[in-house]
Amino acid sequence: MIGFALRRLVWALPNVVLLTFLLFAMVTGWLGSPAAMMLGQEASPEAIAALNQRYGFDQPMLVQYATWVGKALSGDFSRSYATRQTVASMIAPALPVTLELSLWAILLALLTSVGLNSLVVGRRIIGACTTGFSIVGVTIPNFLLGATLIYVFSVRLGWLPTTGWVPWEEGAGLHLRHLIMPVLTLFAFYFGAFSMVYRAEYRALQRQLFVRVASAKGLSDTRVSFRHILPNSILPVITYVGISMGHLVGGAVVTETVFSIPGLGRLFVTAIGGYDFPVILAMGMIVLAGVMVCNLLADMTLAAVNPQIRL
Amino acid sequence: MRARTAQRVLGFALILLIALAGLLAPWLASHDPNASGDDVLAGASAAHWFGTDDLGRDVYSRVLYGARISLVVGPAAALVAALIGVPVGLLAGYASGRLDLFLVQLIDLFIALPSLVLALMITVMVGATLQNLVLVLGLVMWPQMARLVRGQVKSVREVPFIEAARAIGCTPARVLFRHIWPNIMRTIAAQSAIAVSAAIFTAASLGFLGLGLPPPAADWGSMVHSGFEYLSLNPLLSLAPGAAVALTVLSFYLVGQTVD
Repeated sequence: MIGFALRRLVWALPNVVLLTFLLFAMVTGWLGSPAAMMLGQEASPEAIAALNQRYGFDQPMLVQYATWVGKALSGDFSRSYATRQTVASMIAPALPVTLELSLWAILLALLTSVGLNSLVVGRRIIGACTTGFSIVGVTIPNFLLGATLIYVFSVRLGWLPTTGWVPWEEGAGLHLRHLIMPVLTLFAFYFGAFSMVYRAEYRALQRQLFVRVASAKGLSDTRVSFRHILPNSILPVITYVGISMGHLVGGAVVTETVFSIPGLGRLFVTAIGGYDFPVILAMGMIVLAGVMVCNLLADMTLAAVNPQIRL
Repeated sequence: MRARTAQRVLGFALILLIALAGLLAPWLASHDPNASGDDVLAGASAAHWFGTDDLGRDVYSRVLYGARISLVVGPAAALVAALIGVPVGLLAGYASGRLDLFLVQLIDLFIALPSLVLALMITVMVGATLQNLVLVLGLVMWPQMARLVRGQVKSVREVPFIEAARAIGCTPARVLFRHIWPNIMRTIAAQSAIAVSAAIFTAASLGFLGLGLPPPAADWGSMVHSGFEYLSLNPLLSLAPGAAVALTVLSFYLVGQTVD
């Protein structure tokens, strides 16, 4: 198992290097001189040159990249141009917020989509509803769902706080109340996507011999569904969690903006708006690393469940 | 199967409806979409069905005109994605060995990237104009198309009639376009519809994040963005264009989903 994970990591390494370099080149090179942007339009060429030298912008791209990676590996992402804080100190509090939000949404979506699609009793009605909800879930934009939830549950009914984020330390109840709507907003897409992936596999497996054998032995339909079909048809869903990380990042960006949640997504949007290169770079790298790690985790889960893959 | 047909019909009907709304906007709209009035942030009324925005423009008329932008951006971006993705997919699927391996690596590399974040970064760099938006969206969506086409070609090329075509001496180009292409065309068409819906989705998300087409364009995403802060005053300011986005995305998705 550890060997398998290591082998996958080594395979992923060239991709990581290539992608991070592309990102670096894109952000620093294509945008033109960051110095010109920091100093404003009417900066003198001398001032720009001095700044370039101070930050090393006058070095060749590869040298800049190597320097950046070297520092980043030791945890030094330099300072934000906008706030002068270290980038690490801006990201550190935002990361757990986004992680918690996504984890809740994915976990909830996994449980409900697998559960509802495996139910035998009342499948007619529940199945039709699940199909409808799945289609709506994958097509509804996060901002529309978020805005609608805010309007209905906060503005109209006044049941839930509109926006913002309360950390755990200030009360679990308050924390969870602020979580409900953002989590639901992220959840919708995942519920739909997981449902579709799971159901397709479930249907295919229903025709397999081992399922018929299980039924023929006299097991109840519910037992066949949950004990025999479910463990097998959940595999593609796990793969999908890994694949859809890119979508999660996009969803988090929009959802955090809707609900003013101080997570990575909002940090990213703010940084992009202010051309804050160090923050954009660091965030880009974190997202890349996150996507790679999640793909690896998904592969490892699959390998743990299905030994054939480990070969 | 019948449910699928019903979904497709519904999808086509919705697209037709939205296209008509965009085409007939000059006649259906009650006001000039870009004319600001004195009646700022008015609620929904007989004069302004969805109310007016912060510049006093009629939101109902703007939502109608917004259909034009979305129905241009979506299909055009899907076309760009197909123009890059289909050739790459055909090449990867038909060629085997090193070239295929390289292209697959490339496709997977780009698929792993979060498309909205990538689109966001590129849009900030190049500026949000109609052409840029179309190019950016096409650029972040081509890998999906390439992956699908490659898989399709791979599965069709092992079929006996392809072997037969090769055996009687057809050139690779002829095999590819006369024998493989007709078999994968339907799937590509379906994926294109999905790509249209994804493009409209992403374009609207960009608009919501403040990177929509510059004013005064009646861009749905930007309308949601600017109406969002008045949510408690008049929810229709952001929910009406938002619903228009959702409906358009849904309609293309329904059409694309039906062929698989």
